[in-house]
Amino acid sequence: MTDIALRAGRTPRVRRGALTRGRGLAGLVLVGAVIAAGVLAPLLAPYAPQQQIPGANLLGPSGRHLFGTDEVNRDVFSRVLYGLRIDLGICLVAVPCGALVGGLAGLLASRTAVADVVAQRVFDVLLAFPPIILGIAIAAVTGVGALPVICVVVGAEVPLFGRLVRTSVLKVRELPYVDAAETMGASWPWVLRKHVVPNILDALIVQLAISASGAVFIDSAMNFIGIGVRPPTPSLGGVLAAAMGQLGTNTLYAVGPLLFIVVLVLGFQLIAQALLASRRGDA
Amino acid sequence: MGALLRIANLNVRFPGATAVENVDLELRRDEVLAVVGESGSGKSVTALAVMGLLPRSAAVSGSVVLDGREILGLPEDELRRVRGARIALVFQEPSTALNPVERVGWQIGEVLRAHGVASRRERAARTAGLLEQVGIPPERARDHPHRFSGGQKQRIVLALALAADPDVLIADEPTTALDVTVQAEILGLLRDLRRDRRLAVLLITHNMGVVADLADRVAVMRDGRVLETQDVEGLFSSPRTEYAERLLAAVPRLEAHDRPTRLTKTDEPVFAAENIVVDHPGRPAALDRITLSVAPGEVLGLVGESGSGKTTLGRVAVGRLRAASGTVRLFGRDPAGLGRAELRALRRRIGVVHQDPAASLDPRRTVLDSVTEPLDVHGVGTRAERVARAHALLDQVALRPEHGDRLPRELSGGQRQRVALARALALEPDLLLADEPTSALDVSVQAAVLDLFTELQDRHGFACVFISHDLAVVNRVADRVAVLRDGRLVELGPARDVLTRPSALYTRTLVDSVPVPDPVAQRSRRGPDLEVPA
Amino acid sequence: MTSYLLRRLPSLAVVLAVSSVLVFGLLRLVPGDPATTLAGSDATPDTIAAIRHQLGLDQPVLSQYAHWLTGLVTFDLGRSYIIGGGIGPLIGGALGNTLLLTASALLLAVLTALVLGPLWASARRPWLDHLLTGVNTLAIAVPTFVLGVALALLFGVVVPVLPAGGVPRGGLLADPGITAQYLLMPAVCLGLPVGAVLTRYLAESLRSELAQPYVVTALAAGVPRRRVLLRHALRNVLPTSLTVLGLQTGALLGGAVLVEFTFSWPGLGMLIERAITGRDYPVVQVLLMLSVTVFVVLQLLTDAAHALLDPRIRLGGAR
Repeated sequence: MTDIALRAGRTPRVRRGALTRGRGLAGLVLVGAVIAAGVLAPLLAPYAPQQQIPGANLLGPSGRHLFGTDEVNRDVFSRVLYGLRIDLGICLVAVPCGALVGGLAGLLASRTAVADVVAQRVFDVLLAFPPIILGIAIAAVTGVGALPVICVVVGAEVPLFGRLVRTSVLKVRELPYVDAAETMGASWPWVLRKHVVPNILDALIVQLAISASGAVFIDSAMNFIGIGVRPPTPSLGGVLAAAMGQLGTNTLYAVGPLLFIVVLVLGFQLIAQALLASRRGDA
Repeated sequence: MGALLRIANLNVRFPGATAVENVDLELRRDEVLAVVGESGSGKSVTALAVMGLLPRSAAVSGSVVLDGREILGLPEDELRRVRGARIALVFQEPSTALNPVERVGWQIGEVLRAHGVASRRERAARTAGLLEQVGIPPERARDHPHRFSGGQKQRIVLALALAADPDVLIADEPTTALDVTVQAEILGLLRDLRRDRRLAVLLITHNMGVVADLADRVAVMRDGRVLETQDVEGLFSSPRTEYAERLLAAVPRLEAHDRPTRLTKTDEPVFAAENIVVDHPGRPAALDRITLSVAPGEVLGLVGESGSGKTTLGRVAVGRLRAASGTVRLFGRDPAGLGRAELRALRRRIGVVHQDPAASLDPRRTVLDSVTEPLDVHGVGTRAERVARAHALLDQVALRPEHGDRLPRELSGGQRQRVALARALALEPDLLLADEPTSALDVSVQAAVLDLFTELQDRHGFACVFISHDLAVVNRVADRVAVLRDGRLVELGPARDVLTRPSALYTRTLVDSVPVPDPVAQRSRRGPDLEVPA
Repeated sequence: MTSYLLRRLPSLAVVLAVSSVLVFGLLRLVPGDPATTLAGSDATPDTIAAIRHQLGLDQPVLSQYAHWLTGLVTFDLGRSYIIGGGIGPLIGGALGNTLLLTASALLLAVLTALVLGPLWASARRPWLDHLLTGVNTLAIAVPTFVLGVALALLFGVVVPVLPAGGVPRGGLLADPGITAQYLLMPAVCLGLPVGAVLTRYLAESLRSELAQPYVVTALAAGVPRRRVLLRHALRNVLPTSLTVLGLQTGALLGGAVLVEFTFSWPGLGMLIERAITGRDYPVVQVLLMLSVTVFVVLQLLTDAAHALLDPRIRLGGAR
């Protein structure tokens, strides 16, 4: 048994190849394509998102209107592209914020016992509210808009990153090489900079990919039930919700936003899985 | 005498590597055949191949004949009937070899059930009998594994393996994870079981003492091949291959040897402890009124079994752990009373080498980064000077400059421990803590690292607290030896007195438990009453 | 074991206490005076004052909090501003529907995981492994409501075999067969992600369990592979799987809001959505507290089950 165990005992680390083949590449392509579509929306969209086109009421998909038109004569494809920009923007602000706040809280928690207890209880409380329900609570105070969405995503990410950083730091500190450095006089900032941060970075990157996919989900869910971005500003969730009312008349209205949400969430998931698999060394 | 188990031309390939190549082994009835070799020699893979338990990625070819029947490549269902009933397997780690959430009696019962004992009552009766045979009170069948000590667990694993009455027992490093006194007990049990049940045993081990104690014949393996097979006396007296000779020479022995003493009694000790106590909340004291000191340039060996407090004492000695009471002096000062800057200055005079070569270096930093780290921390010299110093250190530990650019995973275990040693010596410390620095290494690698250690110690003259569970290793490096048991100091004195003429009863038990790597001597030590009838 | 659970209690109590303050404080933070909102735009100051008094809004904040908390504990939940009626009956009706939905979803999820988890863990053929990985990734990645819309589209509109939403006219208890038809899509939708996460966890932990030495011990002694997988290894991953299930069940509450909204299922999710859009804050507060309480109770139950299943905790004294 020893022989096999020794050979299998590789150090977990993300290898660079993880995103250039297989699942990782697929994920990267999917996410990349969607982001490009969002960034290039002003070039790609044939109409303005709010533009009402005379006579084009609930049309099916066609060359002129890729995803058809909605109940107030707007081009669904253009609305989806512009909605994408807003959704991506929200995630781009919220996920790094949540990661930063959570990471710092986790770091603090790993330093002193008091900070640890406080941080852990804060994480517990945040986790006690499912994101959608937290969103409802926050929307009650702030009113609907992008702000509650950002708050919810941050609120959902903080405990995840906090706990991750806390346990990783505690684990790294136990390692003999860190002990050796400290015994020979290395200070905490030194250990943090030279040993802890480089060694937990992998785990953080994986968590970022998972969080990005979660953020897209939360964001579009909140827009879907109407406590996010205020109409007529387009968002993927919002367009989808509007389509729900027209399922009988324009069936394919819902397909466009649906597709974009799935592709984005799936893409981030694939990236996360590829990174995880390469960390475990089986990809 | 015909062979009970005949392995012929066995090959095992994993994707990208050959683990076992053309192995021929023959196990006769009533004999113990030891397979010895260092890590990567393919000995464990051979055992798993015989049992048909290798992962699916392994490609196996050749022949394994058990009592006239080819068992390699049998369908799973038929093979399952062979396992346990004809051949059983016991391996190293007793702490994980039992299912943690089930009662031990149930686990033995599962084996009986798998081999057709349908009645619950009969299973219980036979389980009780088996436990009794391995020296576990039968009523403890209702306990879960975590209630047993390591040695007891290994006894239970043996009972489980023997439940369906096999003819062949494959024991893969059965005593490696155990303390030396427990190892002696388990070896005794194996000897009894083998005699009472007329078992043929394939004993896989790296420990020459265990081989000398138990084996009739020995096969030496290296890099997936069998180099030689001969009687145990023959191997120890006249090994046929150069590798076997080297292997035997590398085994540390518990013989008295004279080291020039480097003690300069007049100097102030680098570390002195008086009546120190360290508590673990809710458990017996980790250290209980220990008084000892380490003189400049002295190597103090710290020996004891697991839980004896030797690592705790080591951490106190380098100022990483505070004593609850008693006085500690490190370089003449109490580390608990020092300010941050003073503590840093004190730490500069200390080096550490840890046990596990896999974790003793940061996996993301190159060897050079690791070796310069203590210099960087204390801001010694310019970057160029630090690199030059690191290269000099690498040279001292017999590594080449180009090793500096490698990552730890590109080095072997022995090389990593050399790097750890170089890092520990970077600041020219006055005190070095070496906590089981060679325990995870193969015998021949261990010998080289120990030689290096002695050489460096002679050259630099640092004092050292050398922790090991292996008395023979300590015998090789230490000037004085302290024996710990349950947090107490049992004996303290010059190495040759403590290890060859122990005065404390516990130390004597400890020394007597170490099997001597010499079959003739070991047999006479064991006494005639334990002799296996021919 | 009792001491193990007792050690968990303080942190859970803290969660409940802090959450109650947060949820209560919420009403204070809402811009505008609820009494003004309630009374309408053309109300006289006297009417507003009367409403304020009726709602207890003229009392000091602390005593309002105490009053509210006492109400919660004694199940005197107060009245709804907007939807009307007592909050107790309002929630009571919706609670049954949500329970039916979540229980069915959970049942589906657990059954799927118990069948597919071991199958996946022991999958010997690469194509089966790839297939299960693909389906599983998709099931985890597709958001609940997206799946809901897709299902409603597919089976409610394109191939209309199932009702696209709502509940049977005669109520849920009238005809179990018809109820099942209405329940199927929402339950699948809600249960799928949970089942996928659980299946994956089970498969992965079983796989790493199969690499444990005790598995080799059992196999080497002749215990059949199937029994080692389904009895020895499964029994070992059960405690941690239950913890995962507990967390996922907590997440079901959030999912229920979305699924109920998608399928017009008249449960707590619909109620909270209605309450929030109607600015019916007392209802929102009670529902939020309910959600937190369920979460905390689930945690406690999970811990208890975990402790019960793991002898190292149950009997203490792990070496």
